[in-house]
Amino acid sequence: MFSAVYVETEARDHPRARAILERYRDLPQIECERYGQIFNRKAQNFRLQKEYPALILARKHGRKVLPAPGGYGFDAGQSHYFSHMLNCIYDCRYCFLQGMYRSAHCVLFVNYEDFADSIRQTIAAGPGNQVFYSGYDCDSLALEPVSGFAEFFVPFFAEHPAAVMELRTKSTQVAGLLQIDAAPNCVIAMSFTTEAAARRWERNVPSIEKRLAALGRLQDAGWPVALRFEPLLPEADSNAYENLFKLIFSRLRSDRLHSVSTGLFRMPADFFRNTLKLYPDEPLFARETQTENGVVSLQQPNREAWLAELEAALFRHIDPASYYRCAE
Amino acid sequence: MNGAVNLAVAHRLEAKVLLDWFDLTEIEPKKKFRCYGGSEGIALTVTGMGVENAAAGVRHLHDSQPPGFRAWLNIGIAGHDSAALGEGFLIRRIMHRESGELYWPPVTDLKLPGCELITVAEPETGYPEDAAYDMEGAGFFAAAAGLISTDLVYVFKIISDNRENPVANVDPKQVPDLIRGQESAIRKLVSHLRERSARFAGYYGMPVEFDLLLDKYRFSATRKAGLARLCRRFHALGKQDRLTALARERFRDAASLMTAMDAELARTGKPVI
Ligand code: SF4
Repeated sequence: MFSAVYVETEARDHPRARAILERYRDLPQIECERYGQIFNRKAQNFRLQKEYPALILARKHGRKVLPAPGGYGFDAGQSHYFSHMLNCIYDCRYCFLQGMYRSAHCVLFVNYEDFADSIRQTIAAGPGNQVFYSGYDCDSLALEPVSGFAEFFVPFFAEHPAAVMELRTKSTQVAGLLQIDAAPNCVIAMSFTTEAAARRWERNVPSIEKRLAALGRLQDAGWPVALRFEPLLPEADSNAYENLFKLIFSRLRSDRLHSVSTGLFRMPADFFRNTLKLYPDEPLFARETQTENGVVSLQQPNREAWLAELEAALFRHIDPASYYRCAE
Repeated sequence: MNGAVNLAVAHRLEAKVLLDWFDLTEIEPKKKFRCYGGSEGIALTVTGMGVENAAAGVRHLHDSQPPGFRAWLNIGIAGHDSAALGEGFLIRRIMHRESGELYWPPVTDLKLPGCELITVAEPETGYPEDAAYDMEGAGFFAAAAGLISTDLVYVFKIISDNRENPVANVDPKQVPDLIRGQESAIRKLVSHLRERSARFAGYYGMPVEFDLLLDKYRFSATRKAGLARLCRRFHALGKQDRLTALARERFRDAASLMTAMDAELARTGKPVI
């Protein structure tokens, strides 16, 4: 999975870093002062680097909990996101991370305890129920056997029932979750695109079948499970989404879903520019686009009608009250 | 798939074996830096010693070549406190001792032994750190990284001296043998770099129509960038044939050509999958 491990001098002795370094003792281990020395360097090529990504172990400084962008997520109240990791071991062509970061290496911040402190303070300061999204800058569960992220944060949130954590993922690494009691305030949100889109644009991502099997087991164990249909992309096969919905709802209990959302393909304009530079040969990015309020999306005639049709197909399976469109 | 690779060495003795292996012959003799090339897309420059020479040699070879994407590999001898003579290391981190500047060559899955490199101004005799010591690596890397992505710039060092065999005892005549001893690692690295640079060129090379159209019409700098984008979109969308056809047509000027190209691309309404 990784070709080397970089480790910040000050993170090196953290027990989590020590355990990971031990796990990867056969890989080159390279010390650095700050993760940015490697991660933020100029003239890196994300696309080439994706062939041999490295893991960077670091300590997160500064603000650890940030306000979630407007329109992101299921709750209109106060919501936040926190990133214990930057980048992802999967390689989805439509992912905005490739336009956001210069490097394809994965940064793992090992000081979870400091994140937990910040979350605790945010909960104490904020009014009412608050939502904390993880998996905004990474996949929450993909690296679970190495990172122990859920293993740490699920029990933490279980102790803070007034707050909700969403783990956004495409991973099937749920063995750890299945070994502990389901936490009603920890939502496992699985992202799906259609079969054709997954085959074409999602490299190294577990198949839809495998993801559904993992979600099914989580549902059976009482975990709140959510579905995220993102990014929505127009396809030649007009039944592609309907078929996807049929498959999913033949495997999952729709009455027990926490929430279901959709989101169009969209990217901040500067990330899109960077992505286009990286993949000038990718048909997805060569299509006609439109930019609104600094966000690029694909030009699509009759987009609203298409969305309405797609939502109608979805509502044949779910309660519309559990549905939202992600507008971020 | 084979792409282009430029090799840089400090000394002719380091070049000797490489010229032989890769069948390289001298191009433009009597210039400040000796440069060699062959039919395989491999070129070599002998930069001379020290960071400034290393950087200047890299730039010289680059300037003497037609535009294109080339990976860079510095091969040379180095000292190390404890590593055995003849051992080869793919460098993972370079420190320029004089400036404190750090460089981070890419990591690979080639399973070659690796270590840190410290580039010094004078031969190091004390070997204070667990690192290899040379006099060119930092200069080479900084210069090559200004020409291509750092993911295509590698440094490979072979140990010529250590605490028990000090630098003063290095017999220059042994240098070719030290290089020869790492033949398999060097060949592995070169073919790895050739594959990578070929992929890179495949990703970012311009369609041939781009140059044809530049010759045919006058473009401002902004329009030239626009033309590059349009040509790439034609290719990405699988409309090479239409681009070739448009390139053959006669338009009044660059602006009319680009309007026609835009119109053609706008007709791509169908879904991507
Ligand atoms: S799984 Fe998510 S975070 Fe990972 S590459 Fe795909 S879109 Fe990006």
